[in-house]
Amino acid sequence: MSSTLSAAPTARYTWRVVDIVVASVIAVASGVIFWAWNTTHHAFDFIFVAFPPSSALLAGMWLFPAVLGALIIRKPGAALFCEMVAAVVSSLLGSEYGWTVWASGIIQGLGAEIVFAVLLYRRWSLPVALFAGLLTGIFGGVNDAFVFSWFPDYTESMKLAYVVFMAISGLVIAGLGSWALTRALSRTGALSSMASRKAAQERVLG
Amino acid sequence: MLGLDLDIDAGEKVLLVGPSGAGKSTLMHALAGVLQDDEDNASAGELLIDGRPAAAAHGRTGLMQQDPETQIVQARVGDDVAFGAENLSVDPELIWPRVIESLHAVGLSLPLDHPTSSLSGGQKQRLALAGILAMRPGLVLLDEPTANLDPEGVLEVRDAVIDAVGASGATMIIVEHRLAAWADAVDRVIVLEPGGGIAYQGTPARLFAPGPIRDRLIDAGVWVPGHTPVLPARLKPAAPAAGLLRGRGLAVSRTAQGPAAVSGLDLRIDAGQALCITGANGAGKSTLALTLAGLLPERAGSVAALPGLSGDQGAAGASDPGDADRPYRWRAGELVARIGTVFQEPEHQFVTATVREELAFGPRRARRPGSKTRLYTDEEITGRVDELLDRLGLRHLAEANPFTLSGGEKRRLSVATVLAARPRLLILDEPTFGQDANTWRELALLLREQLQDGVAVVAVTHDAGFAAALGASTVEVVADRRPCREPGRTTPQGPDPTTARASGGMPGLEPDAGARASFFGRCNPLAKLAAVVLATVPLIASLDLVTSSIVVLASLLLLRLGGIAPGRFLLRAWPLLVAALFAAWGTALVGNDAGAVLLDLGVATISEGSLVSGVATGLRIFAVAVPAVIVLSSTDPTDLANALAQQARLPHRFVLGALAGMRLIGLLAEEWVTLGMARRARGVGAQGGFVQRLRANAGQSLGLMVQAIRRASRLAVTMEAKGFGGTHRTWARTATFSWRDGALVAGGLSLGAVATAAALLTGAWNLVWG
Repeated sequence: MSSTLSAAPTARYTWRVVDIVVASVIAVASGVIFWAWNTTHHAFDFIFVAFPPSSALLAGMWLFPAVLGALIIRKPGAALFCEMVAAVVSSLLGSEYGWTVWASGIIQGLGAEIVFAVLLYRRWSLPVALFAGLLTGIFGGVNDAFVFSWFPDYTESMKLAYVVFMAISGLVIAGLGSWALTRALSRTGALSSMASRKAAQERVLG
Repeated sequence: MLGLDLDIDAGEKVLLVGPSGAGKSTLMHALAGVLQDDEDNASAGELLIDGRPAAAAHGRTGLMQQDPETQIVQARVGDDVAFGAENLSVDPELIWPRVIESLHAVGLSLPLDHPTSSLSGGQKQRLALAGILAMRPGLVLLDEPTANLDPEGVLEVRDAVIDAVGASGATMIIVEHRLAAWADAVDRVIVLEPGGGIAYQGTPARLFAPGPIRDRLIDAGVWVPGHTPVLPARLKPAAPAAGLLRGRGLAVSRTAQGPAAVSGLDLRIDAGQALCITGANGAGKSTLALTLAGLLPERAGSVAALPGLSGDQGAAGASDPGDADRPYRWRAGELVARIGTVFQEPEHQFVTATVREELAFGPRRARRPGSKTRLYTDEEITGRVDELLDRLGLRHLAEANPFTLSGGEKRRLSVATVLAARPRLLILDEPTFGQDANTWRELALLLREQLQDGVAVVAVTHDAGFAAALGASTVEVVADRRPCREPGRTTPQGPDPTTARASGGMPGLEPDAGARASFFGRCNPLAKLAAVVLATVPLIASLDLVTSSIVVLASLLLLRLGGIAPGRFLLRAWPLLVAALFAAWGTALVGNDAGAVLLDLGVATISEGSLVSGVATGLRIFAVAVPAVIVLSSTDPTDLANALAQQARLPHRFVLGALAGMRLIGLLAEEWVTLGMARRARGVGAQGGFVQRLRANAGQSLGLMVQAIRRASRLAVTMEAKGFGGTHRTWARTATFSWRDGALVAGGLSLGAVATAAALLTGAWNLVWG
């Protein structure tokens, strides 16, 4: 029935109960941060009024659970799972994008997941985190601008600008931000039962 | 922990005692079979339960830990008790009788669908015990089950444990610090050696009788029954003292709209005075303390600093002369120099990465009242930090990360960090909670020193011994409306203790009773999702006013089917409106110009044509969101998870793990609000520009993540100890489809079809990918 995991080589890729629950709670806590952020960031919407596609510069806030989850849990599917649960939480709280936020969650999560998968879930350094943040931003931007096409009347170059802004935001907020947060968390000892418990002592460039 | 040899017989009741760091919790986790296997944990020897390895004996053991919030897995009382039995693949037919029997055994007479989030700490622990009993374990492990409870909760849980575990005939091992409540209920006491192994064991009567063993236990900080730490006689405080703070006609509450917890309170706090705020759980003690501390606004009446606290130049800088004496209006840097607030959870107040920086942080932030000049020079701060490191015995930890300290060290550090800026008034929330007798004594001595120096101390506490040690007077906050004045006591009044805690206005994940009983509330979540998708797919495909208008109108007409009052809908929908307006503006600016120019901004113009496409863009976004909001606000996460795992066949470990995590959302939202106040009390201001807010938000996010991950790790232990994680389980509640679901899906489909047809017929249809 329930078998404890042995320290066999497959352990690297198998999820323990604690991995599942911590990943879920990271996503839920991200939902709380989204909600707090929602009440802050609308106050700054005026900054982007002159060139609306630049509002994507803040979109990285919605992408960080993917990279953060993967950097902390270090298991296949962690980026995808965290971004999806965060999307479900935000839809239950009342999302701006209705059910499509579930689909967006999957697409954005995939962006980060691909980077970690290509490296066989062995590399968690700063460049990897930045790249994962960048790709999740590109996936999210393309999804918003071209797939669900939320701004059909934007010119092609404005849609591209939107994608570029979201990529930058993903790189900085989701990539750099999650990497820094993981190291700060590892210093507090909160990650003691996670594969990332020694993240703060790892080499920055891997 | 090393070299422990131990045999415990079936049916025996054992109390495990030992200094912190002796490995008690590790041993309990190992017994429960939940010790994590990884390269940092090593084990030697063998651990057998019924002669089998502990890890293979899931279901034979039940484990209860100290944090009530993470002992509960599910949102409803019945589901939570059933959870362990389901994981053990008990036949669903047999589960409900067991659930009812177990609830009865622990004395909880609540409906099965009662929300677990509304239970008190003591009730949560009894519920956790019921869940363990429903697994029919042979061994019940209790790891400080009452450490987080007030005195009433302690007795409530102890009695339930003794009755229920006694009746079940299970073996019981309990770890506790405060022994008085348990000493009579156990057969054997085992005292562990700090490095490992057993120091002493025997009957409670023998170990706790006066003698060398009792003295050694007292030296180790164990709360031996009948012992209170000895303090030297207290010196008399200096005569007539300056007034520091005055409350007049004060009413307090957690939120601006919430019910007042205390009303009509007059009080005055003088230099060198000790005051304890007492009262039942939920009566509003902490709310009162936070209001006095300038962290919550007064609900009514006023809190005003007197000259002894505000200083002479108090009125100089503030915008409104009335605000200069109002602590809530002070900047964080002014507050930290005058009032030091110590929160119940030390980790909420840690803001730096080393103990030394932590101590220097407050004085560095401290500002002269009404100005931006620093109160202390760098040399003064270095001197103060060194003095505190020595006074509190933290010198050897100066470079350690505050989060990695032991419980007692964290408590001492959190008090020291607010003392560092030399405030005239100290406010502490349950400072002795969960502390061993040695830390308790040190705290009492430290606070006495402060009183001697003319600092006033206000403490929220259940601990009568602590109040006596400080020579404190008492304000009792009572939860009912009966005035019960005793001589020498001020008794403000509060509302009933079931008042919901503030989560800062965050909407909950669970539908209210009206939504739950509505048509949508009784539909299958998968059917609801399908209906919403079918109704809104045309909107994804086409940008036109016809499709969007039809979907929005139809959704608003269906509000009643979701049991949602219009006011509640607006509360949920306003962010959608903001987003829609912003999208409309963006498109109106850049859309193809046609017709008359309405607004010329130089670089961009808004014309009639672009305005129409702007409105269409905004309405489309709004129309996609609205049906989902209506349907999801009647969706219970538990039902959604049951449907996803049972009917959509998603892996149940992940679905139920996510569900258990979601139950923490209210708690985390509450924690976010608390963190904001706790950090302001340390001198972190969140007002100001974008960068400052962003930085404050980032620090607060780290604090939230630490708490979230700690709770998640404990929750995972709870779930694993309840047998969760296997490949097979049974479901006490089965998810089903009914006629309603068919009707709903057909309704969603026809709404989408009607909207599409109308748009095609009117020629409005306009594919977005064209």
